Amino acid sequence: MSQITEEISVAGPDLDPETWVDRYGDYLYRFAVSHIEDRSVAEDLVQETFLAALRGRKKFRGRSTVKTWLSAILKHKIVDYLRKKYREQVTTDTDTITETVDGFFHKNGSWKIRPGEWNLDPSKIYEQREFMDTLFKCLAELPDRQSKAFMLREMEGYSTKEICNALEVSPTNSWVMLYRARMFLRRCLELFWFNKTKEENS
Amino acid sequence: MSHWMFNCKEVSRRVSESMDRNLPLYQRMLIWMHLLMCKYCTRFRRQVRILRDHCRSHRLDENSPDPDVTLSSDACGRIREALKSSSP
Repeated sequence: MSQITEEISVAGPDLDPETWVDRYGDYLYRFAVSHIEDRSVAEDLVQETFLAALRGRKKFRGRSTVKTWLSAILKHKIVDYLRKKYREQVTTDTDTITETVDGFFHKNGSWKIRPGEWNLDPSKIYEQREFMDTLFKCLAELPDRQSKAFMLREMEGYSTKEICNALEVSPTNSWVMLYRARMFLRRCLELFWFNKTKEENS
Repeated sequence: MSHWMFNCKEVSRRVSESMDRNLPLYQRMLIWMHLLMCKYCTRFRRQVRILRDHCRSHRLDENSPDPDVTLSSDACGRIREALKSSSP
């Protein structure tokens, strides 16, 4: 029995690529469609997800379920796709957020661009697909490594050590990357989701 | 504001950092003192936590309300073929 086949038999049929399309194809496709309007692109992203999983299968340590693992790969694929798409456009909405972290503050360290009020109904926000859509679009505007660090930390729950290993950065660098990502995403969501919601409700 | 206190920029950075590691007690005290006086930093802290809570509670199933959305048989066949030809 080859090593790969042996690993598969230990991990169970879930790690057998032949079963992936039947088991997870529709599930991943629905998620892709909920963020990507073009269904042929969504199909391609699902295919790319499976191929990336096939290549990285040996690294799968059973830390999560195969379903969660495939989902995580797909999320990164979606953000990569959106990043390319928005960068190809001459201007984008989020181009209006030009502030670096320094730009958010006065020289004395007080807020120049103050965090606005988020009037949200906590029970409602979790139902809003638009919120995640906006978040994905904002993520796509971040530098690649910042968005990866954010997704690994906040969506996959990686520890600092795991992020450092995945991105080959020091702990201090990872905290700086996450800080920059949070500053940008907070502002981006405020401008393009909370303000929009406010306008719709007024 | 006294020089031994954190300003908003420092507080926002440490609030973010506190979400990724345990800060020393004196830093937590300084943040806490600042937050008592600063509604914008309090807002910032609340909002980045909302962002985290939302990301972590996000489940694919919640975003897939339409069970009728399925891969076409053509797409399934194409993906199977791609997997097959890429398999070692």
